[in-house]
Amino acid sequence: MKKAELIPPGDYPQMAGKSAATKMARALRAPETAARGAQVIQEAGSQLRLAVHDYVRQLEDALGDPSLVFEKAHELRGFAETAGLSATGRIASGLCRYFDEMEKLGTAPDAAVIALHVSAITRAARAKDEAGRMSHAVVKELAALVAHKLAETKAAR
Amino acid sequence: MPGSAFEVLRVLVVEDNQHMRSLLRSLLNSIGIREIHEAANGTAALDILREKPCDLILSDLAMKPMDGIDFTRDVRLSPRSPNPFLPVIMVTGHTERHKVEAARDAGVTEFIAKPVTAQSLFARIAEILERPRAFVRCESYFGPDRRRKAQEGYPGPWRRHGDRQILHVP
Repeated sequence: MKKAELIPPGDYPQMAGKSAATKMARALRAPETAARGAQVIQEAGSQLRLAVHDYVRQLEDALGDPSLVFEKAHELRGFAETAGLSATGRIASGLCRYFDEMEKLGTAPDAAVIALHVSAITRAARAKDEAGRMSHAVVKELAALVAHKLAETKAAR
Repeated sequence: MPGSAFEVLRVLVVEDNQHMRSLLRSLLNSIGIREIHEAANGTAALDILREKPCDLILSDLAMKPMDGIDFTRDVRLSPRSPNPFLPVIMVTGHTERHKVEAARDAGVTEFIAKPVTAQSLFARIAEILERPRAFVRCESYFGPDRRRKAQEGYPGPWRRHGDRQILHVP
């Protein structure tokens, strides 16, 4: 078999020269840079929350079409937490995990499990106390339901 | 960071979610990057790349009609690619093992799981700047070396030309 060719970093164009790259990397790792970035995310929060609510509406409309629900849940998993809606993001993440596991098992996802997650996402995103104790309990209960359903599916194979 | 070294960098953000695109732009602006191009999918991104030289790509994974994996493969392998060595950071909510492996095998440089934090994004850019990876070219792959760590005392076989020099083996 032909050996692979290894091209060292010095032999192809880099983003910046060595000393500039070191300087930039140091600046990127500085706590004040991270703080400024966190501030940017915080300032974008209200706009992002509006977008999350749009996606939640699209998710509700997608009920009945599992592949569309999966797509919307992935969007929510991706940026609900960035928008400061952590429970919404965690429930969406749980739903994505359920879809992934069912796909691995080669079984169609249970419509009731999907509906429960969609309902929980809707309620969490619209709740005044989004990340409160109630949401935390719902996240836990749904995770337990998913674990139970997956065990049931595996046992039935 | 006005007047910073970052002002010379040109970044392409490929993301179908307009809000996420805008957030990434703001984060890049916060470190002083001014030249930022945006595309909503891989096809549009390839068009931009052919017109505007870039130093770094931030790309989502799931997009239509061309997703981030096919886009990265095109950047690495297409004879029309303006720079097959461009660093690509994949920013995605798809963290399933097979997706991550597909992204790696397409030639992605770094991977960020959403939700994005400023710290995770900046750390990945710093990593690329400070520790650029060797590239591997073989029959089935072209992209950054997928072996992150040198195994101490590895006796071989050396499957790549240049392995010994890169790993400083006498």
